[in-house]
Amino acid sequence: MANTQSKKKKKIKAFPIINGIIMFVVCLFILVPLWKVFVDSLDLKTGYGMKLWPQDFSLVGYKVILTTEALYRPFLISCLVTVVGTLFGLTLSTLGAYVLIQWDMPGRNLFSYMLLFTMIFHGGMIPTYLVMKDLKLINTLWAVILPLSINVYNLVLMRNFFEGIPGALFEAAAIDGCSPMRIFWSIVLPLSKAALASIGLMFGVTFWNDYTNAKLYIQKQNLYNFQQKLRVLIMDGDMPSTAESVSQNTMFNAAVMVAIIPFMIIYPFCQKYFVKGVNIGGVKE
Amino acid sequence: MSSKKKNNVPHSTKPLGTRIYNNRWFYLMFLPVLVFILLFNYLPMLGVRYAFYDYKAVMANGPEFVGLKHFTNLLQKDAFKDAFFNTLELSTIKLLLNTFMAVVLSLLLNEMKNLHVKKAVQTLIYLPHFMSWVVVASVFHLILSPSNDGLVNAILVNAGIIEKGSEIYFLGSKSWWVPIYYIINIWKDTGWGTILYLATLSGISPDLYEAAQIDGANRWNQMRFITLPALYNTIITVLILNLAKIMNLFESVFVLYNTAVIEVSDVVQTYIYRQTFGIGNPNFGYTTAVGLFNSLVGCVLVLFCNYASKKVRGRGIV
Repeated sequence: MANTQSKKKKKIKAFPIINGIIMFVVCLFILVPLWKVFVDSLDLKTGYGMKLWPQDFSLVGYKVILTTEALYRPFLISCLVTVVGTLFGLTLSTLGAYVLIQWDMPGRNLFSYMLLFTMIFHGGMIPTYLVMKDLKLINTLWAVILPLSINVYNLVLMRNFFEGIPGALFEAAAIDGCSPMRIFWSIVLPLSKAALASIGLMFGVTFWNDYTNAKLYIQKQNLYNFQQKLRVLIMDGDMPSTAESVSQNTMFNAAVMVAIIPFMIIYPFCQKYFVKGVNIGGVKE
Repeated sequence: MSSKKKNNVPHSTKPLGTRIYNNRWFYLMFLPVLVFILLFNYLPMLGVRYAFYDYKAVMANGPEFVGLKHFTNLLQKDAFKDAFFNTLELSTIKLLLNTFMAVVLSLLLNEMKNLHVKKAVQTLIYLPHFMSWVVVASVFHLILSPSNDGLVNAILVNAGIIEKGSEIYFLGSKSWWVPIYYIINIWKDTGWGTILYLATLSGISPDLYEAAQIDGANRWNQMRFITLPALYNTIITVLILNLAKIMNLFESVFVLYNTAVIEVSDVVQTYIYRQTFGIGNPNFGYTTAVGLFNSLVGCVLVLFCNYASKKVRGRGIV
């Protein structure tokens, strides 16, 4: 008895250490590329190899991005598209989801099937491009806002949230003379704050990170979003002229940091909403 | 479900006209959604007809019907065949690797007793998922670069594995590109992939483990007979959900590939992109046909996965 007890103790001691080491390696694997970019963005000396901290500390890389029009303009465009797009996306998914829980509405099933069919079959890149061209949306910001605003997956997630609201609330409100619009505005939306946060964040990330649509529909340099600008900056070395003396490498790394900093600021506060969205979608019930 | 019954019974007896009138506000609210899906989903579906036409950006007398010419054409092109099989290979192996790594990682995370450390690790490993592919490609382009600033080459040189001056151009080498692509995908999405497994693991009743311990099961047996069977359904779900999307591969490849490695990295969507936007006066008919072929394969996969999903977990994916 005493023997097995001590054996067990030993095992329990050994495993957490091995596990801890593995976790440490995993964290290093994730962190090292990011840390390298972070350090290099703050360092005037272009470094060979890994440094823990910048040798020649300077914020000039960031300063160039925030003061050169060719670089801060795409940043502002990304901000604008993200805000407007998220509002559009949330409006469409909440309206659609609210209508889809009206079980006695004639045509509800038709609407549902119309939405679901878009998940099975898609026209493809070129027919969509031709439609955008016919709608005269090419080289306008609407081309990167509108197509991503309708997201059937997010709409269905929202509907799943709405289905959890007790039907008795709707009935009571209807008896009191509330119009459907009023019920939507004063009952459904206030009860779904967590869902709005989750899905709003998903839309926000999608719009901020969008590169494919921007690449397809925007050719004008002055309408580039930040992802597009970052891409030409790093792949083509397309550096805007600047008065500051700053190495190309520092600039590149600073530009990568600027693309992720807005997200890093909100991430610690919103992580639970992101996780919630995934769990509702994947393991419903 | 219960609310469905309650609402349905009193209304369904009323005449259709009354029911439509009673719901007039809902139709109005659905109108914007309808307009958006008609414009951006159904209108492009109509455009699929160009797969049977010659339709060039610059042409004298409009689109010209050519039947199945583009389809017989594309099936003979080696570049298309390469792209098609590359899509299957890259997507499938990526999916299997990501799933395997995520399962292992969530099992290890689940064993962590210090909740603060666990939370910190989770916060860190979820992070790359939210970075755009452009950012991820830029980060790895910089650290894998063969020039002076590339971290990986610097480490290899310092460790004496390669000579200075013979640095490896990882993203431009046919033999390196594919494994690097998988590693980058693991870096980006494994952490995020653990969420569903962790949710399942936290739902396993601790009683089961206690009972197993009393019966003398060691850690390995507990994992084999309790944890893994509990995860089985989630793993199948994740595989099915992602299998449906394997033909969609585009952005991750598009930002990482280059002309030097096109043979091993070209996928159907990047092939379509280059055939349309990379050449003068493209034939939209041909690239639409390639896209349609891709969509149809994707469609079959979705329907198969939907069927499989209904069989395995009792509800479909669409």
